[in-house]
Amino acid sequence: MDLFIVNTLSGLTYGMLLFLMASGLSIVFGLMRIINLAHGSFFLFGSYVAYAMVSRGMNFWLALLLATICVTVLAFLLEKFLISRFHGNEASQVLLTLGLIFVIGDISLWIWGGDFLSIPVPSIMDFSFAINESSFPIYRLFVIAIGIACAVLLWYFETKTKVGMIVRAGVDDMEMVGALGFNIRLIFTAVFLFGAALAAIGGVLSGPILGMYPKMEFEILVNSLVIVLIGGLGSWKGAFIGAILIGIIDSFGKIYLPDVSVLLIFVVMVIVLMFKPTGLFGRVES
Amino acid sequence: MKKSIIATLLLAVSVCALPFVISPFVLFMLTEVLIMAIFAMSLGLIMGYGGLQSLGHSAFFGIGAYSVAVLSEHLTSIYLLLPAAIIISGLFALLTGLIAIRNKGIFFLMITLAFTQMLFLLFRQSDLWGGADGVGTSVKPNLGFMEIASPLSLFYFVGVFFVLAYFILRLFVNSPLGKGLKGIMENEGRMVALGYHVKKYQIIAYVLAGGLAGLAGGLYVFKTQFASPELFSVHMATTVLIMVFIGGMGTLFGPVIGAGVFIFLQNYISTMTDRWSLIMGLLFIVIVLYNRGGILQLLQLITKKLTPKKNLLMDKKGATIIELNESGKAK
Repeated sequence: MDLFIVNTLSGLTYGMLLFLMASGLSIVFGLMRIINLAHGSFFLFGSYVAYAMVSRGMNFWLALLLATICVTVLAFLLEKFLISRFHGNEASQVLLTLGLIFVIGDISLWIWGGDFLSIPVPSIMDFSFAINESSFPIYRLFVIAIGIACAVLLWYFETKTKVGMIVRAGVDDMEMVGALGFNIRLIFTAVFLFGAALAAIGGVLSGPILGMYPKMEFEILVNSLVIVLIGGLGSWKGAFIGAILIGIIDSFGKIYLPDVSVLLIFVVMVIVLMFKPTGLFGRVES
Repeated sequence: MKKSIIATLLLAVSVCALPFVISPFVLFMLTEVLIMAIFAMSLGLIMGYGGLQSLGHSAFFGIGAYSVAVLSEHLTSIYLLLPAAIIISGLFALLTGLIAIRNKGIFFLMITLAFTQMLFLLFRQSDLWGGADGVGTSVKPNLGFMEIASPLSLFYFVGVFFVLAYFILRLFVNSPLGKGLKGIMENEGRMVALGYHVKKYQIIAYVLAGGLAGLAGGLYVFKTQFASPELFSVHMATTVLIMVFIGGMGTLFGPVIGAGVFIFLQNYISTMTDRWSLIMGLLFIVIVLYNRGGILQLLQLITKKLTPKKNLLMDKKGATIIELNESGKAK
């Protein structure tokens, strides 16, 4: 029973990290029809930047803030000068963002080398709490809390605010929103930056748990893509449910079916897509 | 048909002639170029003629490579090994294609990517075939009557398959099947209305492309004597995607040029700097930013510019007023 709780919690932790990444990916796609394959690079770059600051003695929380700002600025530049040129051109977006993965990945490799790095757990949370015989690190519980807080925040934005209303309308019909006099460019940029910031937060928070290593962005990216496909493109709710599902499957799969655990999440994806090609909460036609 | 045969013969002659004009080191590299060219051509088929953008094409290459590497412990005849590589990867293409082709565009891309990553992780984790280290072999192509050992004969061996693959693809593209496929890419709704079974065309092309990529993977093992999970990686899938794009989409020969340019660049730049990956990414971005087709289209444009045009006198809007002869007088 202890083991069950611990596994569920660590599955949730991983799921929440993926949620921070996948929700941005999903919203950006839903609104802009842009598949930003470099989203995983934002995640990894964020954690590298935070590592650089923390290893020079900076406070973890300040590093989290600065790394997020840093990634957001990077995302702003990329969106303004590169990605915005290719609205509506799927093939070019795919290639462009693929190219960005290699550029960002190689620059990270250049600066931080190819070794496995990790950010130390912030000292204020460097202890565990006991569950009967077992124990669970408090930091991971904090990550779960952040993930849920983000979900609540997204829910609030989407349903209760005017911005959320515009974005919701935009997912359904962007042209009409533009015709009603809203500044589409500004909305696009804002949503893109918000997604990048979420990915960066996820990346920094994952630093003490998953660590950083070259080509990690591909792994994170593929897992997030699976989540987005399962949950349905354009829906953060789908990303939330999908992320929890994938996190738990991953966590239990590694214990009970270690040989095929890596396959499990893809099997789930295939099954979901067979019965619901748009994903669980997706409205975007494929 | 006649044109295809002539083009194929021309290609065969140039492949035969190449070893006489280049150094042995370049020959070694060219063998790799030809293998990657088969791989790139197969992706070029589904992307340039089928409109199916795949980020998972390395799956078939890797399956072909592993088929040969693993089976070569038990048998050596290429008449069994290469068909095995083609059939196994073709079957995988059929299985995954049936799921992936239900979706279009970005969905297709993401699903193919997911399948490839699945294989990558599976082969890296599983202890069955060497895990992350991959599986080595010492197989030489055994033709039954002779064994291929020298680099030169390996080049010709690969060259035969390259020319054959080109010929098959050329026939396919010009056949009603290929034309239907292209029609679907250009206007799917119309083809459906005309009574074409769209998915069938796409599946056939996908399986053909998968089989050829498997063949390329099999040949790759004959050259490198090694298959590793890296063959399945997204990196590999991206590499071949770049080849297709550098060379030119929507043409058969474009990906071949792309493969050549890419491998030469990679080899020369890698000797100069460790930052090949960075340069490749930048190259990619530049190609996308100035995307007016690949090298092949560029060459066609240049030849069009260079060929003597009629001398025309135009008005300010560019409309032709009169045709001039060389001395500038009106004809």
